[in-house]
Amino acid sequence: MTGAIPSIALVGNPNAGKSSLFNALTGARQKIANYPGVTVERKAGHASFADGRPISLIDLPGAYSLTPASLDEAVTRDVILGRQDGEKRPDALIVVLDAANLDNHLSFALELLALNLPTVVALNMVDLATRDGLTLDAARLSKELGVPVVPTVAVRKRGLTELLAAVDGAIGSHAAGGVTAPAEANDASLHQRARTIARAAILSETPVRRWTQRVDNIVLHPVAGMLILLALMFVMFQAVYAWAGPPADALEGLVGVLQGWVVDNIPQNFLRDLVVEGLLAGVGAVVVFLPQILILFLFILLLEASGYMTRAAFLMDGLMGKVGLSGRGFIPLLSSFACAVPGIMATRAIPDEKDRLTTILIAPLMTCSARLPVYALIIAAFIPNRGVGGTGIGLQGLVLFGLYLAGIVGALVVAWALRRTVAKGTNAGFMMEMPRYQMPQLRDIALGLWQRAWIFLRRAGTIIAMTTVVLWLLLTFPQAPEGESQVEYSVAGRIASGLEVVVKPIGFNHDIALALIPAMAAREVAVSAMATANAIDADGDEDAMAQSLGERLQGKWSLATALAFLAWFVFAPQCISTIAITRRETNGWKWPMFMVGYLFLLAYAAAGITYWTAVAFGLG
Amino acid sequence: MTALLENILDRAPLGVAVRIARIDWTAMSEDEGRRLREFGLMEGCEVTPLHRGSIFSRDPLALTVGRMKVIIRASQAAAIEIEPVA
Repeated sequence: MTGAIPSIALVGNPNAGKSSLFNALTGARQKIANYPGVTVERKAGHASFADGRPISLIDLPGAYSLTPASLDEAVTRDVILGRQDGEKRPDALIVVLDAANLDNHLSFALELLALNLPTVVALNMVDLATRDGLTLDAARLSKELGVPVVPTVAVRKRGLTELLAAVDGAIGSHAAGGVTAPAEANDASLHQRARTIARAAILSETPVRRWTQRVDNIVLHPVAGMLILLALMFVMFQAVYAWAGPPADALEGLVGVLQGWVVDNIPQNFLRDLVVEGLLAGVGAVVVFLPQILILFLFILLLEASGYMTRAAFLMDGLMGKVGLSGRGFIPLLSSFACAVPGIMATRAIPDEKDRLTTILIAPLMTCSARLPVYALIIAAFIPNRGVGGTGIGLQGLVLFGLYLAGIVGALVVAWALRRTVAKGTNAGFMMEMPRYQMPQLRDIALGLWQRAWIFLRRAGTIIAMTTVVLWLLLTFPQAPEGESQVEYSVAGRIASGLEVVVKPIGFNHDIALALIPAMAAREVAVSAMATANAIDADGDEDAMAQSLGERLQGKWSLATALAFLAWFVFAPQCISTIAITRRETNGWKWPMFMVGYLFLLAYAAAGITYWTAVAFGLG
Repeated sequence: MTALLENILDRAPLGVAVRIARIDWTAMSEDEGRRLREFGLMEGCEVTPLHRGSIFSRDPLALTVGRMKVIIRASQAAAIEIEPVA
């Protein structure tokens, strides 16, 4: 092992605490990318031995054995066996075991040890095993397995130095024998051996009254559990509104200060207008939604890390089973509330092909965070900020909740229809391990939030900035003669006028028609597009410049139009990334085209029905 | 044991430990069977069914196997014969 940096793979069962261990070893020095050709996330990072020699670490998807049941697990097998394109076979393995779950997790460990790679076992979460009344003999386990066993508590950074030292030793002393082909082991005998070894390594086992069981009795209760889940979801969406106000205002103020600074310090020219009206107005209008997106992700990360997410999947399985899906789909679908792209990628854990396809097709109906800027703008402008009937519940939050609910109900209906037509098949199974409850770790949550914030800001800096600039150019040329509206006269304005003919019946005006096309790049661009158009419209008019975008829309749109616009965004497939990821995940254009078609139809119908109903009630 | 139906895991009362007597592997796909074994659900092992379904349906079933808690569907539980723990 001279020269090249040794690469070490972390491998183990789901819920063994692999990711926490990976975070503890690498800190923020990690990179998330995709394996070439497949969309399974590849998490890699750097660390170093005690003497400073660098090592590279990869965190492989959790698996139960080397015989994959899902696409995720196939990647784990292929990387370990050196069959994964563009990935060299790891020089050593860290097999992560949940100390409290030895009898089950040892089967996979035994299978991995038979490969004859330098291997070290991390006996992880020993503190939780102690909590469960379990005393383990690491030395005995090491003797039985024939490899070093290091007790670790990833979340407290305990045992990390010893673990890396053991890995160093294992690589150094390993006789170059090459990787052995996986043994065609009879899995029953493998499990038997695993249990015998586990029994030998367990020194004592005191049954303790587990509070976690009492919690599950409530959380998984058919009625109470469902109410708790609903309440949690409701709090989550209220919080997105209530907590994001001050930081969002601060960001908005910052954008204003920047615009002012540019106006004061750069003489009026083409470039200054591009920066102030295009870049700052457009990108700024999207960046102010960062706090809301982070709050949403905070909840999702907390639910995932605490172990609650699988409980939610358990509760939802009955409902999802009724429309031909499984509780497995709940996690990808909940992720889709943040963004459909990672949501669709997460469907790789669903073993049944038809179940997976249906979940992919309905994922865009979950209200993703990119829709939040649009909803937030329209709701703030048109829905009065007051409580409902003297309760503490805000009307604005309630409308937001309703929009999310409309997406969910739509998704269930669509799934039901798809499973009876294009995605017909036997009812999918649902088998999952239920992780124990755990206190979410600040570091893991902070790291997850930072990664999401970074992805969002990078999008704002690239796709959104670019489409905004292009749109600004299309809005600025050709120059309108004196007395004519620049927005109407421009290239973009004329395209929008063409589109307006199609969308006029459902109550959409010129503003919306103008926003719809660039919003295909990313939904939140609808907001920046309107911001840019309004900034150009207000050019030179001090009063108009001082008005916020919401205030200006208030003056121009009817309530019926605003509601129709919201209904449109519940269904519209307004995002190229989602279409692209669907193409990649379904290997062809058939399903993404189908998805785009059915979503546009639904969006048009929903907006139309909303508009006509609102007009009938005199809100036009 | 009383009635014949009682010896199927799908019908077993919640909160009572039982032993798996026989699993009808032909009632499920090969992948499902392997996953059951990976969860440690095999002939001779002890399990305790704990939670069953929600307001929507009696699916799924959560049970403990050793110190692990797993979720399976009622259709799989119906293929598992149980006997009382001695």
